[in-house]
Amino acid sequence: MPYDKEMDRRGFLKFAGVSAAAATTSLAGCTGGEDDGEDPLGEEDQDLEITVTQGQFASTLDPQDHNDTPTYNVLDQAYEPLLYRDAEGEIVEYLATDYERLGEQEVEFTLREGVQFHSGDEMTAEDVAYSINRTVDDEVGIVSPQQDGLSGIEGAEASGDGTVAVTLSGPNPVVFENFASFGRILQQQWAEEHEDETIRDANGTGPYQLEEFEEDVRATFTAFDEYWDADNVGDVTQVTFEGAPESSTRVNSLLAGETDIVTNVPPSETPRIEDEDGMTFESVPSTRVIFLVMTNDREPFDSQEFRQAMNYAVDVEGIIDELLEGFGSPASQPTLEGHNGHNPDVDPYPYDPEQAQQLVEESGYAGTEIVLETPTGRYLGDEEIARAAASQIDELPNVSCDLEIRDFGDLAGEALDGDMSTSPGFFLIGWGNPTFDANYTLVPWFMPGQASQHFENDEVVDLLEQSESELDEDTREGHLQEANALLNEQAPWVFLHQQYSIYGVNEELDWEARSDEDILAKDVSAS
Amino acid sequence: MAIGKFIAKRALQGVFVVWGVITVVFLLRFMTPGSAVTFVAPPGADPDLRERIAEDLGLNDPIHVQYIDYVTGLLQGDMGYSYISGTEASVRVFARLPATIELAVAATVVAVVIAIPLGVISATRRHQPADYGATLFSLMGISTPNFWLGIMLILVVSVQFGLLPTSDRPLGLVTAFELLVFELRPEGLWVWAQHMVLPAIALGTYFTALITRLTRSGMIDELGRDYVDATRAKGLPETIVRYKHVLRNTLIPIITVLGLQLGTLIGGAVITEAVFSWPGLGTLLIDAIRVRDWPIIQGSLIVIGIGFVLINAIVDSMYAYVNPRVVNE
Repeated sequence: MPYDKEMDRRGFLKFAGVSAAAATTSLAGCTGGEDDGEDPLGEEDQDLEITVTQGQFASTLDPQDHNDTPTYNVLDQAYEPLLYRDAEGEIVEYLATDYERLGEQEVEFTLREGVQFHSGDEMTAEDVAYSINRTVDDEVGIVSPQQDGLSGIEGAEASGDGTVAVTLSGPNPVVFENFASFGRILQQQWAEEHEDETIRDANGTGPYQLEEFEEDVRATFTAFDEYWDADNVGDVTQVTFEGAPESSTRVNSLLAGETDIVTNVPPSETPRIEDEDGMTFESVPSTRVIFLVMTNDREPFDSQEFRQAMNYAVDVEGIIDELLEGFGSPASQPTLEGHNGHNPDVDPYPYDPEQAQQLVEESGYAGTEIVLETPTGRYLGDEEIARAAASQIDELPNVSCDLEIRDFGDLAGEALDGDMSTSPGFFLIGWGNPTFDANYTLVPWFMPGQASQHFENDEVVDLLEQSESELDEDTREGHLQEANALLNEQAPWVFLHQQYSIYGVNEELDWEARSDEDILAKDVSAS
Repeated sequence: MAIGKFIAKRALQGVFVVWGVITVVFLLRFMTPGSAVTFVAPPGADPDLRERIAEDLGLNDPIHVQYIDYVTGLLQGDMGYSYISGTEASVRVFARLPATIELAVAATVVAVVIAIPLGVISATRRHQPADYGATLFSLMGISTPNFWLGIMLILVVSVQFGLLPTSDRPLGLVTAFELLVFELRPEGLWVWAQHMVLPAIALGTYFTALITRLTRSGMIDELGRDYVDATRAKGLPETIVRYKHVLRNTLIPIITVLGLQLGTLIGGAVITEAVFSWPGLGTLLIDAIRVRDWPIIQGSLIVIGIGFVLINAIVDSMYAYVNPRVVNE
């Protein structure tokens, strides 16, 4: 029997700021015990109140002052972009009903009519232009960490009745893909008047409006009655987001019936969830690829044969089966299957220690000693995966490989600061791609001058440059596919796997996990 | 030396210690590899964007300028702004402090309520089953890691039997009291207590075991002293001898340890807080360390440091009051 916490959470949560009367009316719901679903008049009670516990809580409520998935998940209940993606990754219109190119350096959005902010004011083209400018222009409010997401955009202005023109610095073939991930809209007047409050208050156009925000602890949203797309909102009337960094705490809290959806469940915990009545787990391939970077400005990683040898030496299938309990798919290239630019003709390197040994001999680096550096706790099973990879490489008779566990901050600080010469030579890292386009991964890692560049190859650079100025979609995809094939052959990374997201879910809910790791309460219904 | 002068001297020493803590904590930032910008900007952000974010956060100023700004700010109660959320560090740190103090005090109460009677029973029934039981308990208590105990308590008490909540504390003691006073609703206190029980036991077990041992050995020492025989010879009942005379003398060193350990508990509650997702300074500190949010790290460490200094000063002063010889040492 799960602990019944209805009285505590629902009864007292909102003491500061919300009337007790409102609090006591919200006793029905999914979390923490069964409601009989009937009121004294015998009518069905349709309230569905859910709690989502993530490994990390939102770092801010400002829709432009952060760039991490857990924060987007909390904010996306209240804030919406012009374009978004459906669960399959296809671009769908949200606050824009149409979008088109006006020229090489200009695109235009036609805005949806009748969209209201939670404040009750109607969304205007000025609000949209302001929100875009607030992201790309340091002079408008904040220095936004989302600038790279809308890179190549110079500014926006209201261009007519319900339209917004966006000026580009170049052709920018991925501008709409980027707008499907970045550029959430907030109200200009509200943001300017509440400059200090945007970090702890929200006024968006989304299906839920902020009811209570306790910094670092929880955020509660309730259904917004004037939502423009009310017909497509599920049964959830109230959603609470919480953070619990310990995975065992999250899982136990789910099993005790205190929360309904928990993120980042370790594979080893899935049987425990499956065995519990009324609980299940959902897993889905995420947009994150895990790999071992080999910095090619130094020995022995300047040798293509040596880099390929490392790929043959690591048993990726075995790691997925044994360490990740099947929650992963082998990667063959930087771009994941299903993303634009993925090359379907390229296969993952097979596990072949003999071939690896021979390639090491050919590279001229037989007898070399290398160190694999890995963060711990950052990615699903990262330390264990790196340990297995290092030991498999170490098993080669002509290479010795040690493992060094690093704090993610230290490692990322050294590796992603734009200075290849101070980077570790060999390290594990993961890369999420919210845009579903190869550009988001290939440009930061393989174009000169980028913070993450660890591999120099003129042919790859040439292909990426062509793709960046190519507006014909098929030709552009061809360039990206060619770059991916070349990268498979050049082997700048040991290609490991596509990470899976694993969620623990209350079976009373009907919800499907998305590959982009987004959790939208409006997609949840009672099962 | 008069007691007043002694306290003034201790207070002055305290000020220097706090200044030292502030300086060390400030310098830690420059000795730790990894930049906060890595976490504010997404991994792989354009170097130019990283530079502008660093500038925006004030990280490009020379160390001495940052130090002077920081200390000046602290003197005005300003701990700076969180790099990650942009909120005032002082507001976040002080918002978390009550939860940690509540937990530390509750753990101390658990320890006192259990440990002292257990220690007395153990000392007065030496080599009897009760003594062996208490000794076994204290041995296990001292050797059990509190994070493991916390997880086990959650598994058994919350998940298996559904008796108490695992985490997600909805309200603090102050809010519970406000509910009681302003709305005449005592349920708040009940809910608060339910959420407090498991973390307090997890955090307090080591402490309970420690005090049990201290009480036992202290009582055994005292029972062997001459004055005990003298009081017995006067014909006083054994209960009065044990509880009025012997226990009172045993308590003096225990109170000192209790005071000092309270400081340790405030600093050491970090892991317990993580296990129970407790909204205290410990979880704030862990989250901040993970993302290099230095204003929050510095603020939390300084508050914990000042807590230590204050508790030490109070314990010292009380000790001096109880035992005037200390003043003249």
